[in-house]
Amino acid sequence: MSGTGPREAVFPTRQALTNTKLRLKSAQNGHSLLAKKRDALTLRFRQILRKVDEAKRKMGRVLQLASFSLAEVTYATGANSIAYLVQEQAKTASFHFNLTGLGRGGQQILKSRDVYTKALETLVELASLQTAFMILDEVIRATNRRVNAIEHVVIPRLDNTVQYIVSELDEADREEFFRLKKVQGKKKRDAEAAEFVRKKLLGDTGEVQENSSAWLRRS
Amino acid sequence: MEALFFNADAGFLEGVVRGYKAGLLNQGNYNNLTQCETLEDFRMQLSATEYGNFLANEPLPISTTTISERATRLLVDQFNYLRNNAVAPLDKFLEYMTYAYMIDNVILIITGTLHERDTHELLERCHPLGVFETLPALCVATNVEELYHSVLVETPLAPYFRDALSAADLDDLHIEIIRNTLYKAYLEDFSSFCASLGSPTSEVMDLILSFEADRRTINITLNSFGTELSKDQRARLYPTIGRLFPAGNNVLAKADDLETVRQVCEGIPEYRNFFEVSRGHAAGVNGGGDFDDDDDDPESAVAAALEKRFFETEVHYNKLAFLQQFNYGVFFSYVKLKEQEIRSLTWIAECLAQQRRERINEFVSLW
Amino acid sequence: MAQKERTLFAIIGDEDSVTGVLLAGIGHLNEHQKKNFLVVDSKTQISTIESAFQDFTERKDIAILLINQDIAEKIRPTIDRYNQAFPALLEIPSKDRPYDPSKDSVLKRVQKLAGD
Repeated sequence: MSGTGPREAVFPTRQALTNTKLRLKSAQNGHSLLAKKRDALTLRFRQILRKVDEAKRKMGRVLQLASFSLAEVTYATGANSIAYLVQEQAKTASFHFNLTGLGRGGQQILKSRDVYTKALETLVELASLQTAFMILDEVIRATNRRVNAIEHVVIPRLDNTVQYIVSELDEADREEFFRLKKVQGKKKRDAEAAEFVRKKLLGDTGEVQENSSAWLRRS
Repeated sequence: MEALFFNADAGFLEGVVRGYKAGLLNQGNYNNLTQCETLEDFRMQLSATEYGNFLANEPLPISTTTISERATRLLVDQFNYLRNNAVAPLDKFLEYMTYAYMIDNVILIITGTLHERDTHELLERCHPLGVFETLPALCVATNVEELYHSVLVETPLAPYFRDALSAADLDDLHIEIIRNTLYKAYLEDFSSFCASLGSPTSEVMDLILSFEADRRTINITLNSFGTELSKDQRARLYPTIGRLFPAGNNVLAKADDLETVRQVCEGIPEYRNFFEVSRGHAAGVNGGGDFDDDDDDPESAVAAALEKRFFETEVHYNKLAFLQQFNYGVFFSYVKLKEQEIRSLTWIAECLAQQRRERINEFVSLW
Repeated sequence: MAQKERTLFAIIGDEDSVTGVLLAGIGHLNEHQKKNFLVVDSKTQISTIESAFQDFTERKDIAILLINQDIAEKIRPTIDRYNQAFPALLEIPSKDRPYDPSKDSVLKRVQKLAGD
């Protein structure tokens, strides 16, 4: 596994190892934080979903009631021209009183107006829920993308880097160790040779000298 | 009008109109109609009545607007037949009847023209009873001044306009005030015309027109509460006929709340029960609402009940007209009764279309 | 904040729906005498509805766009494609057709998301 996946372009040093480990740690932290955020958002999202659903159904009822009140207006005024007058009088959006139906059916018109005003309040409520729904949806998508990116790209990459550095460092360690062993062995042999020479010098100087110089030549 | 000569001039048409009246839907028809499940059934039931196949060529789904339009067209056809066969002074009487619709049409045209709307669309929306030859000519006007003059020149309503309004008013006043000013002038004029026809027409019509005038007075009073309409302006919209005139009108002109209006109506025996809201009825009116604060305040319950009482009383007076021989009132009453019938039909159709069957019986049946 | 400017309703609907909401006072004509509502009847062309829809969704002063469900049905692909947060698009029932949640493009998304 180690070193096979994509990894950061770093030199395998201890410094880099510490850095990468730190980064891995914070990536994992970030991942868990984002995952929590996502869960919280999803929870909220589901609540809103339920509310949107409810509000939509409520709106269905409220608007039915409202259009029925308009039927009452038609009944009271007995004229279809009311619709036209209302349309023509539209100038600026406001809650202004008008005198439509002064001579006849005014009460029904007022009532219908009230019902519609209430219906519009429901609609505004619904619209804000729906907008929240849209925005949350977007945010959740973004969060999900980031969670996935961290989980599937950033973390494995850092992981690989760490393993790579570790393995490289191990390799270097082993080389170093071997080299040291070798040096040590040589040093030991040198020391032995020197000892041998010294002993020879003490005992039989000439022979030892010859032997030792021959040994030196050989090695 | 002498009873002796009545039949010579108007006997035939009176027969015709009484025949039409016999064709109005009766309680049995209404019972059948309210039992319908869909608009399709509704159409079936109607085809067994005087309406015949008037909806046969309509594509499904039928809209309630279409139903009311078609029914109105039938009424208009009948009315035009009467009018084409009428001789003086009945023709004048019938013409007076159309003025009420003309007022609405002219107001419509004025509103539309000032907003530069499409002429054809406007004309389509006019009430067919109030259409007169020169009506389209009004659409040519481009500014208020021009419009005012063409109204004066082109329409039969000229006297009402001339007396009640100036060109400047057309611009400044609210369109509803103009409408009601005209209507007031019209009612007064019609009333004096009826008086000139002599008994029994004058008696019959006096009853109906007085009620109409009082109804308008009460309505205007109630509807102007809480609006920018000043009391002064309000007083000027009251017709100067009717049983509330003059004392009642004076009190109403200063009225600020429902209570005052109620007290004024106490003075007239027939109007006394208008404001009595039996709880049962109020509950019936409001029972349909399924969200909490539909309208619990008693005032709107009274107002809703009031409108219904008005309709009932109107029907009652119009039916009385048929009990008298030799009068022109029957023509007026027939049209009004037929209109009520069309309203009831539209209501039933509306209840069916919107699946609010629990309120289907809240129309005013004629018999 | 662009949302501060969004203070209007707009409606594409049949005559009764439009009359109702206008009665409540949402009617508005801007400086070019452009309306914030469109009355649709049986004679209205689909292209007119489409262009009104584009128009309303591109305007910067509209916060909520109402559309009758049966009219929305006529331009369903456009509606389904619409995914801006502003203006919020609401499908409302018309008077003789009760509200059908299964056709609502937003509710469809809701159900899809609630399902998985």
